[in-house]
Amino acid sequence: LFPFWWLTLVSLCRMLYDYVERKRKENSGAQLHVTYLVAGNVLQNGYVCHKVAVVREDKLEAMKSKLSTITSVHVYSIQKALLKDSSPLYNTDYDIVKSNLQHCSKFSAIHCAAAVPRTPPDAPRAPTQNPQSQRDPSAASVVNGHGPPAAKAPLQQQRGIMGMFAAKAASKPQDTPKETKAEAKEAPGVSTTSSKPSIKNNIMNNFFGKAAMNKLKANSVPEQPKEEKEVVKPSVAVAEPESSPNIVAEKPGKKTESARIQQKDKRSKMKRVDRSDDEEERDPENVKKKRKRIKQLQSDSSDEEADVPPSPTPEEERAPSPPPVPALKTELEPASTEGSAGGRKRKRKRVLKSKMFIDEEEGCMGKTG
Amino acid sequence: MFSEQAAPMAQGLLAPPSAEPSTFPRVPVLGYLDCSQPFQLGERSFSRQYAHIYAVRLAGMRPGLERCARSQWGNDIVLRKLSELQAGEKCCVVGTLFKAMQLQPSILQEISEEHNLVPQPPLPKYIQPSDELILEDELQRIKLEGAIDVQRLVTGAILAVYGSEQDDGRFLVEDHCFANLPPPLPWNGPSSDRFVLLASGLGLGSVSGEALLSTQLLVDVVTGQLGAEGEQSCAAHIIRVILAGNLLSQNTQSRDTINKAKYLTKKTQAASVEAVKMLDEILLQLCMSVPVDVMPGEFDPTNYTLPQQPLHRCMLPLASAYTTLRLVTNPYQANLDGVRFLGTSGQNISDIFKYSSMDNYLEILEWTLQAGHISPTAPDTLGCYPFYKSDPFILTECPHVYFCGNAPHFESKLLQGKEGQRVLLVTVPDFSATQTACLVNLRDLTCQPITFSGFEADNED
Repeated sequence: LFPFWWLTLVSLCRMLYDYVERKRKENSGAQLHVTYLVAGNVLQNGYVCHKVAVVREDKLEAMKSKLSTITSVHVYSIQKALLKDSSPLYNTDYDIVKSNLQHCSKFSAIHCAAAVPRTPPDAPRAPTQNPQSQRDPSAASVVNGHGPPAAKAPLQQQRGIMGMFAAKAASKPQDTPKETKAEAKEAPGVSTTSSKPSIKNNIMNNFFGKAAMNKLKANSVPEQPKEEKEVVKPSVAVAEPESSPNIVAEKPGKKTESARIQQKDKRSKMKRVDRSDDEEERDPENVKKKRKRIKQLQSDSSDEEADVPPSPTPEEERAPSPPPVPALKTELEPASTEGSAGGRKRKRKRVLKSKMFIDEEEGCMGKTG
Repeated sequence: MFSEQAAPMAQGLLAPPSAEPSTFPRVPVLGYLDCSQPFQLGERSFSRQYAHIYAVRLAGMRPGLERCARSQWGNDIVLRKLSELQAGEKCCVVGTLFKAMQLQPSILQEISEEHNLVPQPPLPKYIQPSDELILEDELQRIKLEGAIDVQRLVTGAILAVYGSEQDDGRFLVEDHCFANLPPPLPWNGPSSDRFVLLASGLGLGSVSGEALLSTQLLVDVVTGQLGAEGEQSCAAHIIRVILAGNLLSQNTQSRDTINKAKYLTKKTQAASVEAVKMLDEILLQLCMSVPVDVMPGEFDPTNYTLPQQPLHRCMLPLASAYTTLRLVTNPYQANLDGVRFLGTSGQNISDIFKYSSMDNYLEILEWTLQAGHISPTAPDTLGCYPFYKSDPFILTECPHVYFCGNAPHFESKLLQGKEGQRVLLVTVPDFSATQTACLVNLRDLTCQPITFSGFEADNED
């Protein structure tokens, strides 16, 4: 029928109304219960209050008579059964909204020119620089306004894109065993470990070495794995595209995970445990951006935005990620050129060991702290 | 008024589908300037005592108060410090108020073993007839009596009293005055209707889901997904949404993790996690359509002391991808299209409510403006950062819109000052309880409440 996004609210309401009228004229016997949205002004407590209400059909006239001026009346929803309260309305609405989160603006009658997503180089650096004016509709000028750091970042991203994804995704299999602890997920992790990232920054600085240190701009953590990756492992990026044809029904994000796992093996255990907290915090925000870029690079035909809703629920994705990861491991083995034989063993060990880390971690902290 | 011009097209959607309907572009924000730098804390050090904040507060407000005193009681009045007082001489003294209250919760009393007191439960008001007012300046303090309303005033306010010292060592007050409204700001407001939606107390994560439909209706109306064409075109004139705190409900503040054994709470998730996810989704829907400023409140995951720092954008991964989302401090100050907004999430007003006889939030809001200080009770009874260089809560310029969030109900008033100030005072109601938000029209500084309801409203009839 119609392409999805041509339906606007107004035409939808009219269509609903039309449907109701026709069904009732047909007298088919099946009773339709209609809920209306009424909006208008009413004098309340001395103020002219604007009231927006969802009412059942039988209460429609009563509500209309209460309002001194009516500004809109239209069909809100149609049900076969009489609703006792509004929770089914909300629940259905919530489900639909949730599954179409990124498309919401397409359905609305108001279009906001200023509402543009931040470009990826902007997003990680937002805490260190002033967020740019939202009036500016063109994201390009926003990026340019930042000067050299912004110009550099896209280049780095292009080069290190695979490695960067690898770093992010590798933390995911590890996150799953951590998840069984049901420790803080992203949100509480941020609020409680606000001081920890700064400490971890220093640990990471020391570990990554001078090359990465020189490139660090405002010491924002997301940049570090990015830059570190391109320094340490450009070859993994090469391994990546080779492996992609082998894997048929995998999401691009998962593909990169395997490369990142190999990547991560090179680093120390303590590193991983420390970084995982950071990764969790940065993950939800940056993974979305990084995923988008990866798709463009690999010219995936799947809709960019359709992949975004899964990213707010990275916990769910982490659960499926270990099963595909073992599958990927075996497939990647012949394809990857570096660290393959040792890589498999290390991978297996690492997934198990991470559980031990969590217990060890407290021991370690106890010793040193 | 919002959407009055929409009335003629009200029934337009009760008709079969017709020609292609129009979409409305959102009215762009012409000028936005965030002025809340004084409330943003960088490096924080808590090693200082709170006495410094009172010292800078008095030093900062003294000149203004002396000016007010002269204009009120004549140019020839004698201004004295407490150490210079002479018995019987009529003079004017500027100092900080301290209210000695018996019922005021005191941690020292609670832990004192000789009193063997059970900690008193939180009361709605801690005032008692036996409370006393004491005036303090840099060096001394003196008890006040006379023409001064002890019940109404609270600790921390700076005022000037006119009277004389008595033989028994008390100061008999004949008159007193506050700093009064700060100097006015020039008016550069828009010439056409532009609305700002003020809402607070969304209360996500609460046990009851009644307000969720209303919240969704709010989002839908603002983003233009509900309402006839006229209403939608009016909604396109909403240039900004300001959420004034308490986005999360008090229920998300469960402290089980502290009270229960660790093995019991290991696998439980903090209630605020789900709530923040829900908040993220709601903010995403809003941000795709309108600029949003999010202020933290009493129950939100940020620091407790005033000024509360902005929520961290990592908690809102979906919404913070959009430049239209601004996470701001509490209190918040900004210039929107030439109109200066200043407001808090309500902790300052509710704290004064507890320690004063004033019952009406709008009255308290107006009183803080007259007293020239956003939150005089901080740091005495309200948590505050130990400032020592300057007190950022002193009002130096008169805002055009002064609001407080999480009030029990909606009230608004346009205040006219002696020096030509025009301030719209708004108490933004708690949305989870009242399902009401406020629409401020920037053109003429009027405010209108907007209520959303589901079926529950019908059952009350």
